[in-house]
Amino acid sequence: MELWSRMLWALLFGPGRKGGTRGWAFSSWQPHPPLAGLSSATEVVSHWKGVFEKKGIPEAQESSEYIVAHVLGAKTFQSLKPVLWTQPLTPQQLQCIRELSSRRLQRMPMQYILGEWDFQGLSLKMVPPVFIPRPETEELVEWVLEEVAQRPRAVGAQGGPLILEVGCGSGAISLSLLSQLPQSRVIAVDKSEAAISLTHENAQRLQLQDRIWIVSLDVTLEGSWTHLLPWGPMDLVISNPPYIFHQDMEQLAPEIRSYEDPAALDGGEEGMDIITHILALAPQLLKDTGSIFLEVDPRHPELVSSWLQSRPDLYLNLMAVRRDFCGRPRFLHIQRSEP
Amino acid sequence: MQRFSFTYSAGPNGALTTQQVLNKQNHFMNTSGLFRFPTQLTRICTVPWGLRLWEKLTLLSPGVAVTLVQMAGKKDRPALLSLDENELEEQFVKGHGPGGQATNKTSNCVVLKHIPSGIVVKCHQTRSIDQNRKLARKILQEKVDIFYNGENSLVYKEKREAEKKKQERKKRAKETLEKKKLLKELWESSKMSTEKRIADSD
Repeated sequence: MELWSRMLWALLFGPGRKGGTRGWAFSSWQPHPPLAGLSSATEVVSHWKGVFEKKGIPEAQESSEYIVAHVLGAKTFQSLKPVLWTQPLTPQQLQCIRELSSRRLQRMPMQYILGEWDFQGLSLKMVPPVFIPRPETEELVEWVLEEVAQRPRAVGAQGGPLILEVGCGSGAISLSLLSQLPQSRVIAVDKSEAAISLTHENAQRLQLQDRIWIVSLDVTLEGSWTHLLPWGPMDLVISNPPYIFHQDMEQLAPEIRSYEDPAALDGGEEGMDIITHILALAPQLLKDTGSIFLEVDPRHPELVSSWLQSRPDLYLNLMAVRRDFCGRPRFLHIQRSEP
Repeated sequence: MQRFSFTYSAGPNGALTTQQVLNKQNHFMNTSGLFRFPTQLTRICTVPWGLRLWEKLTLLSPGVAVTLVQMAGKKDRPALLSLDENELEEQFVKGHGPGGQATNKTSNCVVLKHIPSGIVVKCHQTRSIDQNRKLARKILQEKVDIFYNGENSLVYKEKREAEKKKQERKKRAKETLEKKKLLKELWESSKMSTEKRIADSD
């Protein structure tokens, strides 16, 4: 090996050797056996899959594939040009993979490792501890789009619909609605400054900032939502509110427990705290026959139904419950009726 | 983002009714959608595939047949025969856990099987389950088309069209090149003879 490549090798694979180019294999900083010679993408995926499995990291294969694909410039391994599967990777690429993989070994969620994820065809930046959009939530957006398509609304001077999102997180729901409803406008609120900041950044990346107003607000605080009244009555309220039952919080996987904001997950004793707040304030913000769309825990449809019955003063009716792709009751459509 | 016409709720409990599905499928069909059906019938009748014909008819739900009659005015690409969700078997990653906020799985691979033909499509092109489901259906729709229609499938027809256009373009380009060459030769030879005349006249 030439001197310069030996130096590069030494630089890449750490200090603390006993001497010679192979000494680093025994260094405690380097727990994994070296990849001998030139490695292809497929081989590297296999290597890290093995490492993850040994350390009990879930989704070992998928994690490895996403990391390698990302370093090679693709979103998934399957979408890589097949010719790239067998070409050798550069030392820089191998180092990048090594760094990302070490974060996976710390149980960091893939979306935070890659710093981005996709939702409804949009690529969004992801930053801990802002809540990572879940695949189920894409179906919530689909449902809203179907409903909007079926109701040709009396469109005002500024177009529509006017949508309020409660708990916008990374902006996934708001931005996917904006991008697929070119006349819509969104008010997105969140109590986390990190979420406000990230939604703002994602809106700009997608050039949707002109139709979204991002407001720092905690809807559970008395009277806070009155700040939203000036925007006028809304057509829709949409939310994926924190809905986990408090006692279930400690059972969450380390990826979630250690990296995501618990305030974005914990819904209180029966997971209903934020849901009931949204339902209580919605009638004052919604137009006469406006709708609320929620993602919830599978135990909530019944609980929400009884709760609404105990609150006839809200003039809200549970119109439909829709299941997610795993067959679990996951989404609610509640409609306001005229008082 | 393109909207697809399929309903893909996991079980019979999806919020969409059949009528809503039909309404959305309408605008993907056009006149050639209507003519495909009788053509298939006559072709099958000449071959002793009687059983196959009935199998096909029962496979297509009444909903699809109705859609074929309701023609929209669209004149572009004739649509592939729509897939009936009842004939599909979809599989996501096993053990998705409690789901929703309580889970963060990234295995978004979708496996989609067309039960009558046995064709299976596996899609992990994107990081979104939703997109993968739509793509899987699109790919499966084309494969089913090839399976049932062989040479007459839309995919093969389009391939032949594209190849034909490519050959025509090549031919025209060649002809243009030859014309240019000929013109150049003529110009050069006339130039030479002019120069010669000038030289001679000195």
